[in-house]
Amino acid sequence: MPAPRPSRDVALFATCLGDQLFPGVVEATVTVLERAGCAVRFDPRQTCCGQPAFNSGYWREARQVARHFLDVFERADAVVAPSGSCVAMLHRFPQLFADEPDVAARAAALAHKTFELSSFLVRELGVTDLGARFDARVGWHDACHGLRELGVRDEPRTLLAAVQGLELVELRTRESCCGFGGTFSVKLPEVSTAMLDHKLDEVMEAPIDVLAAIDGSCLMQLHGRLERRGARVRTMHLAEVLASR
Amino acid sequence: MSGHSHRTPDGFAAQAREALGDRTLTQAMRRVTDLFAERRAAALETVPDWQELRQQARAIKLHTLARLDHYLAQFAGAAAKNGAIVHWAEDAAAACRIVGELAQVHRATRLVKSKSMATEEIHLNAALAAAGTEPVETDLGEWIIQLAGEMPSHIIVPAIHKTRQQISELFVDKLGVAPSDEPTVLAAEARERLRQHFAEADMGISGVNFGVAETGTILVLENEGNARMTTTLPKVHVAVMGIEKVIPRFADLEVFLRLLPRSGTGQHLTSYQSLLTGPDVGVPGRAGQGPRELHLVLLDNGRANIAVDETMRETLACIRCGACLNACPVYQSVGGHAYGAVYPGPIGAILTPQLQGMHQAAALPFASSLCGACKDVCPVQIDIPSLLLELRKRAVEGEAPGAAPAKRAAFEALTWKLWAWFVRSPGRYRFAAAMARLGDKLPLVKRLLPPMRAWASSRALPRLAKRPFRAGHKDGGS
Amino acid sequence: MSARETILARLRQRAPDAPPPPPLPPVRSTALLEQPPFASRLAAFTAILAKLGTTVEHVADVATAARRTTELLAEHGARSLASSDHALVAAVTAQLPTDIERLAHDAPRDDLLRAEAGLSSAQWAVAETGTLVLVSADERHRLCTLLPDLHIAVVPASRLVATLGCAFARLQPDAAPAGQTITFVTGPSRTADIELTLVVGVHGPKALRVLVIDD
Ligand code: SF4
Repeated sequence: MPAPRPSRDVALFATCLGDQLFPGVVEATVTVLERAGCAVRFDPRQTCCGQPAFNSGYWREARQVARHFLDVFERADAVVAPSGSCVAMLHRFPQLFADEPDVAARAAALAHKTFELSSFLVRELGVTDLGARFDARVGWHDACHGLRELGVRDEPRTLLAAVQGLELVELRTRESCCGFGGTFSVKLPEVSTAMLDHKLDEVMEAPIDVLAAIDGSCLMQLHGRLERRGARVRTMHLAEVLASR
Repeated sequence: MSGHSHRTPDGFAAQAREALGDRTLTQAMRRVTDLFAERRAAALETVPDWQELRQQARAIKLHTLARLDHYLAQFAGAAAKNGAIVHWAEDAAAACRIVGELAQVHRATRLVKSKSMATEEIHLNAALAAAGTEPVETDLGEWIIQLAGEMPSHIIVPAIHKTRQQISELFVDKLGVAPSDEPTVLAAEARERLRQHFAEADMGISGVNFGVAETGTILVLENEGNARMTTTLPKVHVAVMGIEKVIPRFADLEVFLRLLPRSGTGQHLTSYQSLLTGPDVGVPGRAGQGPRELHLVLLDNGRANIAVDETMRETLACIRCGACLNACPVYQSVGGHAYGAVYPGPIGAILTPQLQGMHQAAALPFASSLCGACKDVCPVQIDIPSLLLELRKRAVEGEAPGAAPAKRAAFEALTWKLWAWFVRSPGRYRFAAAMARLGDKLPLVKRLLPPMRAWASSRALPRLAKRPFRAGHKDGGS
Repeated sequence: MSARETILARLRQRAPDAPPPPPLPPVRSTALLEQPPFASRLAAFTAILAKLGTTVEHVADVATAARRTTELLAEHGARSLASSDHALVAAVTAQLPTDIERLAHDAPRDDLLRAEAGLSSAQWAVAETGTLVLVSADERHRLCTLLPDLHIAVVPASRLVATLGCAFARLQPDAAPAGQTITFVTGPSRTADIELTLVVGVHGPKALRVLVIDD
């Protein structure tokens, strides 16, 4: 069982994708955070971080949405999201607000206390065992933004190692991009799918039951193609694995 | 003379589809990128101070680029003092004209050339061919490409998209030799043919990997020996050098030599580096062994504008190692031709729009999933993802304040405006989500919306949850 | 305005509020590292060149070097030898059998082009990378190390340095006469341009043999 920790107030950022498409992932995130001793609050004014517009070149629109994000979360002690990509976006706010140094400074301060779920648990709380049990062979997908912009590599593995019944299978293509890339996935669908298939060619041969990651967007892409290819491998978010008992 | 010149940077989507339909190409791309990535990883293990080296190289480059006027002038002065003749070319046309005139003045009709990105960028071969003096490419891969009338698909191994059988057929067809698909036999054939060209050449054209400001030395790096031949045997050597190749100190070469081959091919060093400090004219009683004349063509062609752009300047720190190509999942999938330009892959996606202008290449900054693998491997730590994002913004908003955007997509712009209007207000966001839930029940909507159709062409569409997460969490508040 | 002025003027168009350029860091050189003893330098040099198919032999004197050179020439079926103008090379060639055709560094180009082997020394050899560093001001090396199929190098043991940085630290091209060419040679000429298959000797030498000679 997890060691009880001094309670920590956490503002949950569900992410727009989590809110609208994967509420189960967000529920699991709440469960996991509470088991780790956090008091979780959800501010219903929250919407999106602005990344979709930002990555598409529409920075004016991204700024409007990012400003709203700042207003909602700025006063929180710690913000936690079940996504590496959305948290990485926070670290891009200074670039987005380069012409408004005061906003950029506020954004930098907020980025400093915004965390992706697994790194919050391991690095901030020092929690590695959440008392989870999950009987399955799990392949891990290192989602790009978490991996390369936030340096999240060991944290999910540390957490998975403590899950009873779980066997982690390291894939050769674990660090290969799934090909999602936001609007990239629909602007260049053939290229996106070629990247995806490169990864899934290994996944579908691998001795795994579940393919897991820290990002809903990657999982949506991976799942969509696995289903189309008639694979038996399921996709799951890390939070769902960690919430299992 | 290059075939497939119909390819353009803005044609990326169609060219990528074409590439994906070519199994020989995609398999070759996967092979070369896997192999080089593997070798690079192994080569790095032998360098414990790799990260410090990268930081050093980056710091040297960023300093030099911020004061390029100073270092370039110093370099040109030193080179001239060594006896090199320095030419300045504002753009591609000027550079081609200078080289063309040099060929004319020296009555050079037989030209040999070693591999160089700068000369490909200015389409020097085509310009010289128009004057009847097309140089013979002497790098094996480039020579194959030239014989075939094609474009390179990789900046280190230009003919990687061709199989040995295809090369054999090409040799049978163009050289009239007996068929053989043994690489050693093919290479031996090339050696013999190209020896002849070297022996007869009046002028050799090369690129430059580094130019040292304090000494005026140029360094040319290679594996085959063709660059040594090109810069040794003809009477006249013309080196075309992008102005961003200058580094301040001779001793800095060590840092770059430790980084470049390891990053590109995973070699600890390529077979040859030639460091030329002026023409090798010899001294009285002791003849020189190289060309009597060394001409240096300093090429701007858009670089100066990048150098004074604070945000984009680091683009010029690139040492053309090719590591970002090998690491890029887009490049791995589609190869170099899809980019429709001389510089492919991640570096091409940021360089081409800046060299050719956004109005011709706005598609390239979008040809990336922003996975960041390029930044991780770049020996000079160029933050390619950030530069791609900046270029996307410029494509959408115009390159300078008030300038017309290169990317004219009124419908798309309206969509994002609407999106932001809905998403920046919780009430409107909820409303939009509710509407979307209604839409989700109508299969027709999905079939009509282009992004949905694009997604569904290869992947099952995700469903909106029956109830969003927030519906169960009305209680919260901060 | 001349093209030179135009380009330099473009480069000077910095924004008035541009931050000052980042400083130039001090030189970072492996020359400053501790030098391993000769035996380890030779072992490293030999090992890394072995991976490239290049053999390194440690010989005691000129006579042995000449004998090994003769044998290497025979092994490769080479009957003509182009040489540099290095004193050590001259000493070795003086002891070669007379039936080997010798071509001096300034022999006619056409003769050099058909030479079957080349003999040079090197100003430095770099243990870490297996590199020969040849400086034209000290040795006319450009043709005899490039044109023939076989390149034999006789390198004084005292010239074997640990790293590339040691070589750079000793080169000082600003002090050298203009027109100097420095060539770094690491193994034979090679290419992987056809299906990534390694082929040696595509333009330059197919084989490189190094004799490290005590001095
Ligand atoms: S951008 Fe970096 S990784 Fe890519 S070719 Fe240039 S130096 Fe190499």
